Amino acid sequence: MRNETNVLSRLGLLAGCLSAVLVSIGMEVVAHHAFGAEFDPNRPVVLRGPIVRVEWVNPHTWIHVEVTGDDGSKQVWMVEGGTPNTLLRRGLTRDSIPVGAQIVVDGYQSKDRSARANGRDVTFEDGRKFFMGSSGTGAPLDGRDPTERGR
Amino acid sequence: MDNNSARRLGLAVLGLVLTAAATAQTQNIPRTSSGRPDLSGTYDVSTLTPLQRPTELGDKMSLTDEEAAEVAEQERRRMENRNAPSDPNRGAPPRGGDGSQGAAGNVGGYNSFWIDRGTGAYQIDGEWRTSILIDPQNGRYPPTTEARQEAVRAGLGRRPQNDGTAYWLEAGLDNSGPYDNMEQRPYAERCILSFGSTSGPPMLPALYNNHKRIVQGEDTVLILIEMVHDARIVRMNAEHDPPEIKKWLGDSIGWWEGDTLVVETTNFVDQPAFRQGSGNMMVTERFRMQDAETLIYSFTVEDPTVWTAPFTGEYAWPRSDNKVFEYACHEANYALEGIMKGARLLEADFRGEEPEGVVNPTR
Repeated sequence: MRNETNVLSRLGLLAGCLSAVLVSIGMEVVAHHAFGAEFDPNRPVVLRGPIVRVEWVNPHTWIHVEVTGDDGSKQVWMVEGGTPNTLLRRGLTRDSIPVGAQIVVDGYQSKDRSARANGRDVTFEDGRKFFMGSSGTGAPLDGRDPTERGR
Repeated sequence: MDNNSARRLGLAVLGLVLTAAATAQTQNIPRTSSGRPDLSGTYDVSTLTPLQRPTELGDKMSLTDEEAAEVAEQERRRMENRNAPSDPNRGAPPRGGDGSQGAAGNVGGYNSFWIDRGTGAYQIDGEWRTSILIDPQNGRYPPTTEARQEAVRAGLGRRPQNDGTAYWLEAGLDNSGPYDNMEQRPYAERCILSFGSTSGPPMLPALYNNHKRIVQGEDTVLILIEMVHDARIVRMNAEHDPPEIKKWLGDSIGWWEGDTLVVETTNFVDQPAFRQGSGNMMVTERFRMQDAETLIYSFTVEDPTVWTAPFTGEYAWPRSDNKVFEYACHEANYALEGIMKGARLLEADFRGEEPEGVVNPTR
C-alpha cells in the first residue's frame, strides 16, 4: 500500500510538473505579433451584440459585432481571434459562425483607439463558449493519445 | 571523469546511436523509385511534451504508460475547465491589465478553441518522452556563454510590462522608442519569419498551425511550414553558399546516410527563427521513418558564441491526412497598423498634445 502511495504521489508530481510547464507556455504565445504591443491595458471593454460579419483568415479571424450604446447609437466593433485552421480541422467552417448570433466579448481596446479589441473571452449571450476547445482535434483515433486505449 | 570528458563521451555514444539508426534499413516504409525512403507527405507535429524537461524530473527521460495517460488526462481536464461557460453578465476585464505575461502582455490571449497543441506526449521506439531535448541528459539547454549572459543582462529592463504608456519618452520627450519605425519590429510581426521556431531550423511545435509538408525530389527537398508560410529548400549533395551570403532560414544542404536524410544548415541571419540562436549557428537535422506512419525528427544545434556545448533533441512527426493551410499573414492584418498608430497616440498623450487622425475615437 505504501508503495502504491509512492507511485501515485510520484505520478501526481510528474503530471503536475508537466502540466505546470504546459500551463506556463499555454496562453503566452498568442500570435505572430504581441498582443501587448497592439492592445491597451487601460481601455478594457465588454461588448454585447449580434455578429454582423466574419473575416476568416489564417492566422487571425476577425469577428465583427454590432454594439448598441446607451443612447441607442450603433457601432460595429472588430474582435481579433485566432486561426480558423483549428476550427476547420474539427469540421467547422466559416458558416459555423452564425451571423446574427448574440455574443458577449471581453477584452481590451486597440491602442490606436479604433473600434477593435482582442477577443479575450468570446461567448454566446448565455455565457456558453462560442466553440468548444477539444483535447482532441476531432480526428480519427490514431494511437497517439494514451487515453485512446480501451475505447 | 571531468564534465567535459563525460560530455564528449555522451556525444560519442549519441553519435553511435544515431549512426546505427541511420544505417539500419527500415522495413515496410514507402520508397521512391530510386529506393530512398519517401518522406513526401504531411505531418502533424503537435505534442504536449515540452522542449525542455521540467527540472524536477532530473535525468528521467521517459514516462511509463500510466504516466503518459495521466498527462493526457490532465490536459483533457484542463480543457474541460476552459470550456466551462463564463458569467454571461461579466463586465470588462480589470483596468490596468489582467497581469498576463509574455506576448499576451497584460491584455490576455484568446479562447482555447483556437488552440491545437496536441493531446499527449509522443513515443519514440516505444518510449514515451518527458522532453524533446535529450542531450544534455537533463533535457535542458546547456549554459550560455559569458558573453551571451552579459548581453542578456545589458538588455534587461528595456521591455517593461505593457502599461499603456509611451514609457520610452520618460528619458526625454524626443527619445527614440521601439515603435519609431516598422523595421524595428520583430521579423515575425512583419510576417518575414516564423515565431517559436516552427520553421527553424530546428523546427519545433507550437500552439497551432503545426502541420509540415515535405515534397521530396532527388536534387531538392522542400519543407513547407504552416506557421508564417515559410518554405525551406534543401539542396541535396551540394556545397554551402559562401559564408557572406545570409538567408532568413539559413542555407540548407542535404545528403542520405542509409535511410536517414541529413540536413545541415549554416549562413543564418543575425536573428534566426530559433530563439537565442545567432548568425553563427549550425544546425544538423536528421529525418528517418520509424515506420510507414511516423517520421522521427532529430536536431543538433551548435553555436559556440551562444551556448557552451552543442545540444540535441528529437520528437515524432506522425503522418496526417490534413492539408497545410495558407498563412495569409498580411491579409486582415490590422495589427501592425494599430501598433504603429497606437504608439503615436500614446506619445501624444505623454507629451500632453492633442492626438490627430484618430479613427472612431472612443475616449
